[in-house]
Amino acid sequence: MIMNKQQFLTNAGLQVQTLELWLEYHWLIPDQTSTEMTFSDGDVARAHLIRDLKSNFGVNDEGVDVILHLVDQLHGLRHAFQQLHSDMQEPSR
Amino acid sequence: MKNPYEVLGVAATASAADIQNAYRKLAKKLHPDLNPGDKTAEEKFKEVAGAYDLLGDAEKRKRFDAGELDPSGAERQQHHYYRDFATADGGHPYADASGYADFMDSDDAFAELLRRSERARANRRGSDLHYSLAIDFAESITGANKRLTLPDGGTLDVSIPPGLVDGQILRLRGKGAPGTGKGVPGDALIQVEVRPDPRFTRLGDDIMFELPISLSEAVLGGRVRVPTPTGAVTMTVPDGSNTGTTMRLKGKGAPRHGGGHGDEFVKLKVVLPKGPDPELKEFVSKWNRKAFNPREDGTS
Repeated sequence: MIMNKQQFLTNAGLQVQTLELWLEYHWLIPDQTSTEMTFSDGDVARAHLIRDLKSNFGVNDEGVDVILHLVDQLHGLRHAFQQLHSDMQEPSR
Repeated sequence: MKNPYEVLGVAATASAADIQNAYRKLAKKLHPDLNPGDKTAEEKFKEVAGAYDLLGDAEKRKRFDAGELDPSGAERQQHHYYRDFATADGGHPYADASGYADFMDSDDAFAELLRRSERARANRRGSDLHYSLAIDFAESITGANKRLTLPDGGTLDVSIPPGLVDGQILRLRGKGAPGTGKGVPGDALIQVEVRPDPRFTRLGDDIMFELPISLSEAVLGGRVRVPTPTGAVTMTVPDGSNTGTTMRLKGKGAPRHGGGHGDEFVKLKVVLPKGPDPELKEFVSKWNRKAFNPREDGTS
């Protein structure tokens, strides 16, 4: 689902000031149309992860930066391995 | 349903701080987004989170201890974790290949397999392309449409939203490298640099501007033209104005989040004519110079 800023704030349970800060830190990078920024369900889930890290796990901003970078790398790696696995099952392709 | 105290591994007499510490310790280990390959992590995490929902809230804990709530009353609603999107087919916008890119540089069989797989990937999402773009200060306030020339000679139209701040990244979905097969194109990520304007300084949604005025305008007042990012406006300088007097042009600042605009604050600066002015000198020498001493308040 594609949502506008207000819908995203509601779904993610964020204050607008918090969102502005997270955008500034580049923790969230929404789509930019000609008139507004738009968010996906993935952005909402990413916001929940950031909120969990900050509010529930006591991670500070620098820690969130590091964790997100590693999580993004981990998913990149998982994609590569998923693809490798599927290619190995279809050797004739 | 397990006893929430057992789930968190604390005694029924544990303090609120002990319960929070136990939850954090377990949650850090079990959070599904920190264990994307462990299918059981979500169930375990839900159990821990459910126990903490119950015991982390003093009122709910009291009711549970009194037998008014059972452990199932604390179950969380269905929740989608980030890993559900990050591991979806076709890749995701935040994925980063820097964790394994060096593997493909090696000469061994594994690296060759990885390279071949990368090349043959049937439905691979295109990679994100990073660009930078410089805009004028005024454009950052009013918004603008810019055309970015790409290294391959192509162009990309970028709509700059009003109120953009220096360093902000704009994501244009689908404007990155093309995907293969059914893979969607990557995104263009454009970091925007706002060229400073020596006249204006931005402070949040407000803009600061220093306006030079003449001695006669300061003493007698008058109407002056003041530049703003959206064009010059006329402002009245009251008589008896001084260097440092600050006037506010309402709504002439950057767009404010949630609607409206910030303001432009105009700080006056009294400037004497350049070079000697015999007429002014003669006038001031006749003026009763002892009538006013700006250092009387102890400034020096």
